[in-house]
Amino acid sequence: MDSPTPSQPKPKRSFKSPFAFPRNCVYRPLRQIHNTERNQKLPADQPTYFTLNAPPSLLPAKKYSDISGLPAPYVDPHSKLRYANAEEYSNMQHMPSDIINGYLTLRGYTSAVG
Amino acid sequence: MSVPKRLLVIDNGSYECRVGWHDTKQPELRFRNVLTKPRKDRKKDNSQQIPDAAAIPTPTVDEIQVGNDISNIEAVRAHLKSPFERNVITNWNHQEQIFDYIFSKMGFDGDDSIKYPIVLTEALANPNMSRRQMSELLFECYNVPAVSYGIDALYSWRHHQQMHKQVADALIISFGYSTTHVIPVLGGRMQLEHVRRLNVGGFHINSYLFRLMQMKYPVHLNAISSRIDKLVHEHCHIALDYKEELLKWAQLDYYEAHVMKIQLPYNQVTATNALLTVEQKQEKRRELALRLLDIKNRREREKLQEDEEYLQVLRKLRQLYDQQNLQKFERALQQQQIGNLEELDKLIGTISARIKRIKERAVSGPSRPSKQQDKLDKMPKPPEGVPQAQWLAEMREKREELQRRKQARQQQRQEQAKRHTHAAQERMRIISTLARSEKRRKANAEEEDDGFGMNDNDWDVYKRINRYNDDSDSDAENERLLEYEKILHHYDAGFDDANNAALQALSAAENYQLHFGVEEIRVPEILFQPSMIGCTEAGLAELIAFVLKLFTAEEQQRLVSHVYLTGSCAQFRGLKQRLSKELLELRPFQSTFAIYESQDPTLAAWLGACLLASERNFAETSLTTRQQYQDRGSEYFREHRASNLYYPTPKD
Repeated sequence: MDSPTPSQPKPKRSFKSPFAFPRNCVYRPLRQIHNTERNQKLPADQPTYFTLNAPPSLLPAKKYSDISGLPAPYVDPHSKLRYANAEEYSNMQHMPSDIINGYLTLRGYTSAVG
Repeated sequence: MSVPKRLLVIDNGSYECRVGWHDTKQPELRFRNVLTKPRKDRKKDNSQQIPDAAAIPTPTVDEIQVGNDISNIEAVRAHLKSPFERNVITNWNHQEQIFDYIFSKMGFDGDDSIKYPIVLTEALANPNMSRRQMSELLFECYNVPAVSYGIDALYSWRHHQQMHKQVADALIISFGYSTTHVIPVLGGRMQLEHVRRLNVGGFHINSYLFRLMQMKYPVHLNAISSRIDKLVHEHCHIALDYKEELLKWAQLDYYEAHVMKIQLPYNQVTATNALLTVEQKQEKRRELALRLLDIKNRREREKLQEDEEYLQVLRKLRQLYDQQNLQKFERALQQQQIGNLEELDKLIGTISARIKRIKERAVSGPSRPSKQQDKLDKMPKPPEGVPQAQWLAEMREKREELQRRKQARQQQRQEQAKRHTHAAQERMRIISTLARSEKRRKANAEEEDDGFGMNDNDWDVYKRINRYNDDSDSDAENERLLEYEKILHHYDAGFDDANNAALQALSAAENYQLHFGVEEIRVPEILFQPSMIGCTEAGLAELIAFVLKLFTAEEQQRLVSHVYLTGSCAQFRGLKQRLSKELLELRPFQSTFAIYESQDPTLAAWLGACLLASERNFAETSLTTRQQYQDRGSEYFREHRASNLYYPTPKD
């Protein structure tokens, strides 16, 4: 593949044969693999990578403060952040909105509006 | 087929890849399973910086750097590429680069093909498509004679079985980089249909901590990113009772006693600067002023001398003219580049005036009152009857109030600029109500006055909805702010723009501290509560309960009597205790269970694969040969004790 360099007498990667995947096979995201497998009409009881996903949680998600991680009884209706005490609340008031959004996305919160 | 002497065992994990010969005790090669393509200019820098490429293999030959060849992994963190998506290989270009790297490092350069069979780990329930491409790559591109695919968790289990030979049933919990598996094994066979995979792993733990710290300390982004791995590995642990520990952290005393403060290096110069007292600072300033004045005086003197010399020359010229020596005069004029007599006279006039002025100034200068004195006189004084300290305190309060207001306005402005924020929506609401009332007033021909505008404050509404608001009245405020600051600066020795100077010195160190407290339990807790990162899947404890329920009571008992923990993330402190607490809760009263930790959670899979590969009939039972690959298609592989099950893709 590469020409041999003087410091390295052995030809580089001589163990390879000329081979290349078809263009559409070089990169296939998992989602695409999932779709193809779904279209293959596999027997219903056959376990595949995608049937082994963990089931959705049935327990109610506990509420923790976005900032400190402490149990959070309150939600700020304005920013939608959860907080545990007054100190955190006053800190929140000075937070730039990108940090607020960062905390929200970290928790996986998506607002119904935006 | 002749029985090969050695097999190459590759544990191709999504975090780390381990490569070695099956008859050795340690993998020869371990590297982060990532690659990066350095930018051209940076590559040039690298090769210049490290001319002796003894330690670092020549990056100039290879465009792409893989694994341990990446000289500074932190610097290219954002550009790291992995062949994996979750635990499945999806990018085959990258995988090919990684194989190139592996085989070069293992010393196959110069051979015309790879002559050794390969034992390779793959994802549990690896999609056929992925395995087919792996086989194609290995057989077509590298010409390997045979390959054996297996599951890392089962290899690790095989390694564990050395110590527990008679045990055939187990519940394997495998903590990977991108996934966590719960694998029931009955009678030595994996119950594939009841395996469940939680898509949360070490990667999520790392990135969760990274994001948390990044948002807590937005300034120290770079310092954080290089410390994340260390923090996770050495300081995170799994809480036995998460809620209870959280409540402990909520106590300030506990927090103070247990929080870990990480002191980042910071610039010492700023600290010493801040340490100087006010007098020292003023002294320095005075010195600087003196020096500047000195320079200015010297320059003036030099100029004066020059001027005087020039004047002398000109005067001589004038004398020439006066003596009617016209020929000489003309020549001299040309030499000095002066047009005629009038110009000469004018020049003499201006220069002598200048000299006079400078001399005058030099005489009168020192006696003039300094500007500073002027300023002092103009400085406002505290009103009669009010002590200075109180007056200053009031002033400081006023200033803070102004600053707060300024900040609030700034924030509001920022938020209004973005859509979807509360502030922007509020603004639209006010506009629409205003418009409505306007219309109503017109319709009623001003019969009904709602009283808007009677109160001066009503008009503030318009200020609030103005997007580029309040520049007009903030100007006045700015002026006041400046004035306060000037006064405070003058009277209050400790006052500084940011804050008290002494305080600043103390906090300089503190500003460069990262507090690592609740995070140490909060971050790994996502394994048990994936909802914390917005993942809807069941947490580990719930998942174990779910998997167990798929079996009969008797089988459940067989499974839990040997729970086996493996994978790098199994090294978290407190994991075993937490799991035994959870199992105690979900198992029937007075039933038994036992949890075993892997001896070597990171390497067990590789070692187990070696063990299997050295079994006597391994080649006959577990290797997929080139012949089989050609005969039975690229999807085919030999099933064995630690492998996936072969389900051929149905043909339509």
